[in-house]
Amino acid sequence: MAQPPQPKPARPTSAAALSPEPKIRVWDLFLRFSHWLLALSVTIALLSGFFGGLPKLWLHLIVGITALVVVVLRLTWGFTGPGSARFADFWPSPRAIMAHLAGRDGRHLGHNPLGALMVFALLGSVLALAISGALSLGGLYKIGPFAADGFALGSVAREAHEIFGFLILALIAAHLGGVLFESLRGKENLARAMVTGQKVGRPGDHAPMERQARMAMSLALGLILLVGGTLALVKLAKRPVDGLPVVTSSLVADECGACHMAYPASLLPKQAWQHLMAGLDDHFGEDASLAPETTVAISQWLAANAAESADTLPAHVFSNPDPMALGQITATPGWKALHHDIVAETFKRAPIFSQGNCQACHKDAEGGRFSPLALSIPSPKK
Amino acid sequence: MKPTLKPTLLFNLLIAGAFIVPMASQAQDTSPAALIETFSLEAGRAGDATAGQAFFLATHSGGKPDTPSCTTCHTMDPTKNGQARTGKVIEPMASSVNPARFTDSGKITKWFRRNCNSVLGRECTPGEKADVLAWLSSL
Ligand code: HEC
Ligand code: HEC
Ligand code: HEC
Repeated sequence: MAQPPQPKPARPTSAAALSPEPKIRVWDLFLRFSHWLLALSVTIALLSGFFGGLPKLWLHLIVGITALVVVVLRLTWGFTGPGSARFADFWPSPRAIMAHLAGRDGRHLGHNPLGALMVFALLGSVLALAISGALSLGGLYKIGPFAADGFALGSVAREAHEIFGFLILALIAAHLGGVLFESLRGKENLARAMVTGQKVGRPGDHAPMERQARMAMSLALGLILLVGGTLALVKLAKRPVDGLPVVTSSLVADECGACHMAYPASLLPKQAWQHLMAGLDDHFGEDASLAPETTVAISQWLAANAAESADTLPAHVFSNPDPMALGQITATPGWKALHHDIVAETFKRAPIFSQGNCQACHKDAEGGRFSPLALSIPSPKK
Repeated sequence: MKPTLKPTLLFNLLIAGAFIVPMASQAQDTSPAALIETFSLEAGRAGDATAGQAFFLATHSGGKPDTPSCTTCHTMDPTKNGQARTGKVIEPMASSVNPARFTDSGKITKWFRRNCNSVLGRECTPGEKADVLAWLSSL
């Protein structure tokens, strides 16, 4: 690393000349860059996660993956970076923590023991968020490295992901509080130090350990982790996925796709399809009757490929015990809960026109996947 | 051999026709003119385009409440796209704009049965069918 820039000899008239305060380079460039990139990506991830809804999932994934990459690189920097970036420099041993709490340890130029705890807690939460997020994406939506791991695991991971989200929110609040408190207590702007990298040296400081960054080692390690990790994830993603919806048979696509998109069989349970197929002559206010043998063929196909045979999210959420609403996807509590935030007018306007017009918003609806990445509410103009 | 073969072939064709046509109707197996002729023969009178227009544009009663008229889905102008209640586009009904119209006997039977029942609460008469087709193929 470059040696800390020496303050230029100040003019004799300036105040600095009277009490020369040596500026010490505490935070290296990569550490500062990774800190602020992580802050930005986690902030956007939290906002898009809590408020963006599924249509903003693409953004959530981009910033989430960014945060993961930053954390992985920060972890390698913890073993290869210069002085104050090393985990060894601020490893929060119980003794150090006790000494710090008792106020016996003086000022730390690098992370103090409580700050260090926060560093590890934040890095750990981002990892936990990334893992639970990837498991949710795989289990619920059959996307990514864990697509083969099933809906049940995905649902648990989804709950955990949300809990970790609240956890990191609390940690961020504590982190900001800690920075503010320490800044006031030590009469120094810690946030600015994380921008400039410099702090003013004072007598009695705990200086960071003297270590140069091992650049080559760091690059090699980071590259191995990122490339190796990516390859491993790609390998996981290539596993065969069970429980995907089947392609709608051409008979069903023709006959049941005349007035609306042919709803994939996996959207409703067997019982609902049977009920619906028994009442085609009064089908949601229209006569949709078919020749008896066609009705039988379609009923059998729908029953054989009904929700019971798929492991997608829609296959799990659209059942309704209410006998009056059997066969109507949009009347199930699951559908209503998912579309709760969409106002009724949106469904009526062009180019949507009806709640049942799934593919107006879900581009992959006919395939039955309902990937959140294929989801967007079309604007009023066509 | 020949005399015995003929009835069997005819018989086979009849059987095949009876079973296959209603199940998987063949596209392009008829034409608007042929259909109008068939319905006119059944009705005992020629199809009347003006009567067909009036029937198609009228608001009827007796059918299902959401579908009082053919125009509910096919719109007032059959040369334009229509729209099902679900938002799905229905291709224009006028055969001049959409040459695929009225060329599939299975399809026409099915949709007359359904749509007349939805709009009127009954089957359409052969005369009404001849009239509607006469109008839609004259546009
Ligand atoms: C007006 C647009 C619109 C229409 C029409 C619509 N949806 Fe959705 N749907 C959405 C939005 C927006 C979300 C995401 C809600 C959220 O952010 O949690 C969603 C979420 C979902 C989800 C869960 C998330 C996912 O992507 O798997 C399923 C399943 C789903 N919809 C199924 C349907 C089905 C089935 C229909 C038709 C019967 C339908 N939707 C019609 C907009 C629509
Ligand atoms: C004659 C036109 C017509 C045909 C043919 C037809 N449907 Fe429908 N279907 C409708 C209408 C109209 C609705 C109500 C949609 C709405 O309100 O948005 C509907 C709704 C549905 C729904 C409920 C969608 C929702 O909003 O939750 C299902 C499921 C369905 N149809 C399945 C089928 C199946 C299976 C077939 C083939 C056997 C079929 N439909 C054929 C007209 C038709
Ligand atoms: C609820 C909507 C709806 C109403 C009301 C309706 N139709 Fe249709 N009609 C359709 C749909 C959907 C199709 C088939 C889609 C296609 O062929 O593009 C169709 C097809 C037809 C066909 C078959 C066309 C062909 O290519 O062979 C005829 C004929 C027809 N309709 C006549 C009528 C008449 C006459 C009325 C009024 C008594 C009527 N329709 C009312 C929706 C409707």
